[in-house]
Order: sequence, then C-alpha cells, then structure tokens
Amino acid sequence: MSAKQILITLMMVLAFFAASSLVLAAKMPEQVSLDSMVALFDGVEFDHAMHTDLGEDCSACHHHTTGTGTIDERCVRCHADSNEVASVGCRECHLANPFSAENINREALDRYQFHIDTPGLKAAYHWNCVGCHEEMDGPTDCQDCHARTPDGDDFYHHDAKGLSAVGKSGH
Amino acid sequence: MKSLIGWGAKPVDSHVNEKTDQQWSLFRKLMLGLTPGQYLGQALRNPFNWILGIIFAIGLPLIAYRFIFGLSVVTHSSNDYPWGLFLGFGLFAMVPLSASGFMLGTAVEIFGRHDFEPIERLALLNGLLGYLFAVIYLMVDLGQPWRLPYPMVVSFGPAAVLFLVAWHVATYLSVQVAEVSVSFFEWIGWLGGKRFIRRIAIGLTVAGIILSTLHQGALGALFNYAPGKVHPLWYSASFQWIHFFCSSIPAGLCMVIAVSTVVKKTMAWRCDDNFKDNLDRCTLGLAKGASLALITYLAIKMIGIAHDNEWGYLATGWGAWFLFEMAVGVILPIILFAYAVRHQAVNLARVGAFVTIFGIVLNRLNTALIAFNWQLYQEVPHIFEVIIAVTIFAIYVVVYRFILYRLPIIFSWKEQPQEALAAEAARPAPIKTSTAPIGAMYRKID
Amino acid sequence: MSGVSRRRFLAASLAGCAATTLAGPKKALAAGSFKGYPDGMGVLVDMTRCIGCRSCEAACNKEQNLPAPDRPFDDKSVFDETFHGGKQKRRPDENAYTVVNRYNPDDSDRPLYRKVQCNHCNEPACLSSCFVNAYTKTKEGAVVYNSKVCVGCRNCMVACPFNIPGYSYSSAFDPVVKKCIFCHETRLKNGLPPACVDVCPQEALTFGKRKDLIKIGHQRIQTHPGLYLDHLYGEKELGGTSWMYLSPVAFDEVGFDPNPGNEPIINNVKDFLGTVPMVLAIWPAMFTGFHLLAKKKEHDEHNHDVEKQHDEEGGDQ
Repeated sequence: MSAKQILITLMMVLAFFAASSLVLAAKMPEQVSLDSMVALFDGVEFDHAMHTDLGEDCSACHHHTTGTGTIDERCVRCHADSNEVASVGCRECHLANPFSAENINREALDRYQFHIDTPGLKAAYHWNCVGCHEEMDGPTDCQDCHARTPDGDDFYHHDAKGLSAVGKSGH
Repeated sequence: MKSLIGWGAKPVDSHVNEKTDQQWSLFRKLMLGLTPGQYLGQALRNPFNWILGIIFAIGLPLIAYRFIFGLSVVTHSSNDYPWGLFLGFGLFAMVPLSASGFMLGTAVEIFGRHDFEPIERLALLNGLLGYLFAVIYLMVDLGQPWRLPYPMVVSFGPAAVLFLVAWHVATYLSVQVAEVSVSFFEWIGWLGGKRFIRRIAIGLTVAGIILSTLHQGALGALFNYAPGKVHPLWYSASFQWIHFFCSSIPAGLCMVIAVSTVVKKTMAWRCDDNFKDNLDRCTLGLAKGASLALITYLAIKMIGIAHDNEWGYLATGWGAWFLFEMAVGVILPIILFAYAVRHQAVNLARVGAFVTIFGIVLNRLNTALIAFNWQLYQEVPHIFEVIIAVTIFAIYVVVYRFILYRLPIIFSWKEQPQEALAAEAARPAPIKTSTAPIGAMYRKID
Repeated sequence: MSGVSRRRFLAASLAGCAATTLAGPKKALAAGSFKGYPDGMGVLVDMTRCIGCRSCEAACNKEQNLPAPDRPFDDKSVFDETFHGGKQKRRPDENAYTVVNRYNPDDSDRPLYRKVQCNHCNEPACLSSCFVNAYTKTKEGAVVYNSKVCVGCRNCMVACPFNIPGYSYSSAFDPVVKKCIFCHETRLKNGLPPACVDVCPQEALTFGKRKDLIKIGHQRIQTHPGLYLDHLYGEKELGGTSWMYLSPVAFDEVGFDPNPGNEPIINNVKDFLGTVPMVLAIWPAMFTGFHLLAKKKEHDEHNHDVEKQHDEEGGDQ
C-alpha cells in the first residue's frame, strides 16, 4: 500500500468510528428528565452522560435491553444473547402505575410471563440508583437527588413542632 | 337507728301503723315510720355515712367528669389494655359474686330446700343488685353507653360471645327483678302482682339457672378470644368457661354469707326473729355448699393445667402468684369451711366467706388485668379509675341498704287479716314436712 | 310448692324457657373455614426493601384525614421512641393507622423496618368478637368497620392477636374504633391501591390479588436464595391474612409473634358457642327433673289433685 492509501484507509476507519459514535451518541441521552413524582418532589435532571462515563457496562442499569448482554447470574441463563429492544428507557417495562387494576389483571392473566414481580418505575429508579450511590459515595438522601416541593413539605408535615416521645413513659 | 328504737320508734313492717291504726303513706314507709327530722338525724349520726359522704364528694364529680370529657380523662386510654378496672372489677368480679340469685333460687324452689328460705330473699336481692351495678359499671366503661341497647335492637352480631352475654344479662335482670318484685309487691300492698310471680316462680328459676350457667361461662369464654394474651395458668383453651361457671358458685354463696354477716352486725334491728334464728344454720349450710364447689373448682383447675401440660409455669414468678391465689382464695377457705362445719363454728365460716370473695375477685382481676398481656408491660389503672370504681361500689352499698331497710327481705311483712286470707287462698298449700321451720310465713294469722 | 297443679307448672316452665330460648344465639356453626374471597386483594410487605422513610405514614395521614402529627414524617428520631418503661415501640392508634418501627437484630448488618397496620385477616378476630356486627370483610379483602353501630365495648381490641385497633378515647361523645381500612372507601373500592402502597419509593409494598401475592412471595424467596427467611408470614397464620410479610431474619426478631397458630381466633370460641344450645336444651328438663325428684310424696298412690283436695279440706296442720 502506498502512504496515500494507508492514510485514506485510516481516515475511513476514523470516519466510521466517528460516525458510529455519533450514531450511538444520538441514542444515548445527555440528560433524562425524571418527573413522575412532581407532586411532592421536584423533577430530576438526570445526567446520563456523566453516568455512562463512569465506565460501567450498560447492563449495570439497563439489564439486557441494550443488546450488550448481561452479567447478572440470575438473568444470564435466558438473556445472555438478548437483542436490543426498541426503547431502552426504564418506563417501557417498569410501569409508572404498577398497581393499577389494568396492570394487576394483565399480569395475572399472562400465563407465559415469567416476570410476575416486575418493580414499578419508582422502585426501579431507587433500587438501581441508590444501591450504587451507597457504594460509590453518591447522593443517598431523598432530597440530595430531588428537592421537596412546598406541597411535599406539607405532606411530610415538615413544620410539626410537637414534643418527641423519646424517653417518655407513655402515660 | 338503734338508739331511736331504744326510745320507742318502731320501723315499719306492715301496712298499718299500729299506734294510730292508719295505713302508712308511701312517704312514711320510705321514712321507715320516722319523722323526716328523726330520719335525717339518725342518718347524720351514722359514722358510715360520713365515710360515704367523703367518697361521694370526690367520686361523684369524677363520674361527671368522665361523662363530660370522655374516657381519656379518667383512664390511661390504653390501646393494649382496653379493659380496665370498671370491667375487670365491676363486671368480671361483681357478676360471679351475684350468682347467689340463681343458687338460692334453685336450692329452694327446685331442690325444695325450704330450710334456706329465710335467706332466699336476701340472696335474690344480692343477685339483682350485683347485676344491676355490673351494668352500671359497664355504662361507665362503654365508649358510647347510650348505645347499650344496640345489640338488642339495632345491629346483631350473634356469633360473638358478648352478644350472648348482653342478651342473657338483660333477660336475667328481668328474671331477677321479677323474683325480687315479690317483696316489693308485699311492701306496696299489691298482692295480685305477688301472686302472679309466685305462680311462675319455677319457670323463672329454671330460666335463671339456664341464663346464669351460660353467661357466667360466657364471661370466661370472652377470654378465649385472646388465647395468647392471658397467662397460661389463668387460661384454658377448653375449659375457660367451665372454670368461670364453677367459681361463680362459691362466689355467690359466700357473698350471701358476707352480706348477711354485715346485715347482722349493722342492721340487727331490721332483722326479724325468723331471720336471726335461722341465720347461723343457713350460714353453715351455705358454707357446706361453697366448700364443695371450691373443692370442685380446685380439681378442675388442676385438670386444666394437666390438660395443657402447664406444670412448668408453676415454677416461675407468675406461677408463684397463681399458687398464692389458689392457696389463699381456694384452699384456705376449704380448710376454714371444713373446720367450721365440723365444729359448728359459724364465725369461722364467715371468715372463710370473706376470704373466698377475696379469692374470686383476685382471680377475675388476674384474668382480666394482671395476668392479661403478661408478655407486654404491666398496666396499672389510673387513680381516677380506682376512685370511680370505689364510688360506684359505695352507691351499690347505699342502694342495698336503702332496700334492706324498707322491703321485707330480712324481715317478714305483717299483712292484715283480710289481706292474709285472700293471699292464703291463692297461695299453694304448705309443704307437709317435719322440718317446716318457717311456718309463720304460711300459717294463717289468727 | 307441692300443691301446684301439673298444668300450671308446665305452663310456667314453658314461659320461663321460652324467655331463655329467645335470648340465646342460635347460629349454626359451619365446620369449614373461610379462605378469603377469590378476588380479595392483599399487600406483600418486603422488609428487605423498606428503608424507614415513613412516606407511607405520611400518605395514610393525608388519605384518611388524620390529625397533624407531633413530629414530622421525615423525622427518624421517632424510631428511638419507646413507651412503658422501654418495652413498647410505637403502635397504631387513633391518630396513626400505620407506623413503621425499626429493629436492629443481631443477624442483620443494617437496621430493619417493619410497617405495622391492620393485617385484614381472612377470618378476623375483631369481626368474630363484635356483638353489633360493626366489622365487615369486604369482597375486595378489606376489613372495614361501621362506626355508626359501635357501642365502644372494645372487645375487638382484646380479640385482635396483633393488638391493632385503636380507640379514640380522646373523643367525649363519639369515641369509636380507629384502624387501617385498606383505603377501602377512597381507593380499594375503585380498583386503586391504598395510599401507602402508592407512595412507597422502594416498593416495599406490593399490591395485588392475595392469591397472586402468595405466588410472588414464594418466587421472591426462591429467586433470591439466602436473602429471605423461607416463610411468608400471614399466608397461613391465624387463618391467613391479606397483608403478608417477607423478612430476612427470624420473625420474632422484628417484632412478630412467631407462633400465633394457623387457626383463626374464632375457632377458640366455637366449642363454647356450640355448648350454648346444648345447655338450652338440657337444662330445662334436667332441673325440672330434679324438682320433681326432690318433692316428697307422702301418699304414693294419690295424684296431685287428690293431694290438693286433702289439703284444702284442712289437712294436718
């Protein structure tokens, strides 16, 4: 190969990678809005880009839905070679209202579904996020990730000023 | 009162004032034939009334306080110990002590033991007042006492043991009112009423036995709802109701002995010769019955422990407390009664009766309050609860005394000749037994 | 009493017995037990998931219009509160239908939290003991109460093996029982999960049909070996409850009674209730018999009427 040919090949390879990373970047959001509990807590602007930079495999959060396989030993048996799904976002499988009548009856009727105990959206976020945060010294308190709205403060009766019963007899 | 009688006053014991030959008015009957001034004087001179006065001065406002501000101001408002002293003492202890009504009624009317007739009316009155005041204690304890009739008329929960208790106590109260009304009708002079009741006396008595067996047992069965909460030595899955029913027998009999002792000591002026002469003999007879029932109770308690294999609990602190209750409340009276009956020592039998009453009250308080929730903390009733319980008991004593002073319970009402003849015609013929000791009640007055 | 004519005596006894027969309960007690309505709902409480945030307490307070609490619902110091000489943790009462308590068992490296509320039993003790039928087990599975007929006897509080019902002692004129009602009126009837389940961020509370939750509970135990104790508390206990629990440690270390038995509380009184009609049937004849036997007969060959004639003619007196 002449120098010119090598250069062109190199540039094509580079272009390919640039293009494919651009393509991948288009699918991976920089930020995700998590706002299913806006009544009580402000929405969270989740920094997806920062989390992907942490170097963990996609399956650490997305299970086997991104096509990159999974390493969880309980899932591997069935999902070792799972394909990417149409939408990788959490909401598709982890329902915002997991206990609505419709969802309960749907799960009950679907005899061939193995996953009869799929957590809802709120639980999915919390289990996925908080566990890792605890290990990696990330935010763990409720308000570290989502501040409470004034309605939320009322809900928790934040301004209750009664006496504590610690050390009292109970009579 | 004794001194007034010493000066010549004679308490009313017939419809006609012997001195003036005129009918007593109701008011004068209530005043025992004294003038209001004399009556008030003797009441004020009585030291017992001073004690009562102090109790009422403290207790009656507290009772009003409870009804105005709710149970939270006189109890500890415990959600773990919902039943306190009002039910633990007022209902669970007073009901077995009032079992005398059906016991003596059965003995006299069913088994024909007319030798107990001198104290039959006292036993019936004891039963009536005991149940009446158990209901009053209940009214003070219930969250919404005005809804007391609800299980009768508004909403039925027939599978509940308490439903049975409610219906039976209501029915039994009616039976007892009917039985005591005989004395009342004599007092106010309506012999028609008296005759009617005497005609259905057997039916009333049988009804009384049925009702009493069931609700004395049902009060025990109430604790079957809480098997884990009552300490095993006081709880028997199979026999709880039998234990409660069986222990109500000595309770009722001993309460009669106790009340008659108090009556003899404090109201001897009111008792007639029939009562006074037969009291010792009746007391020993009751003591015999009570000791038999106590021995039976001891046996069935031991059977209960054996049945559930609870012997190991006897070696614990609770076991020691249980042994104390059995030793003092059951075994000691058996010994006292046995000696008393053998040696005709009536006063010892009386002591035994008071000890038995202590034992029964202790047993009920243990089951309902002390050994209840034995695995949780120990609850001590609020002082206001104690004061109100004492106050209501004082009211019970006052009502008891009021009736005993007036109605022919411990004395015989002297009827007029023409009334006596009419009554005689309607009465059943006298029994021809050789032991007719109370002939005066049935013989024509010449 | 020997002069009473037979006719009069029987009539009187019948009258007395009729009075008592009307008074006694005559419920025919079925031999079987109730396993819950087929579509009854339930909640699975997973103690490995609860973090003690007390959002469920806050949600219940709001949903049921309960009074404002003394301490904020995000105040974790309440877990240190004990009563009655340190022996009791918090419990549900008239102002709080549910509470969360913290436990620090030895075989757990982190604190465990337990949500306490009415367990909505299949055969509730409260319902069995209520003499005005104030409690109802609805077909959705909730055990609800009718405060309009409640007399305030508090027998249900004695009967409940979990010590759940509270009483509004503080009310002078309308004190009634207060307990979790599974949000029946506001949510369950309309097919919605109760407020506490809805708000839980950790989904420690799983809502569904009771029969499905049993399967889910056992599947969870199976698919997480070693995480849970192999027991679904409430599946069989006391006849089965609608609210069931999974725990990583032994249940008595987190405040449960480990052996309440599998019999519903009502079974403890069935024997007595069955005795009642026996007594009603046997006692009249037995005691009438005693009475007849106890009366002495001087003249064996005479009947009652002849005897009475003798007496009225003057007799021996």
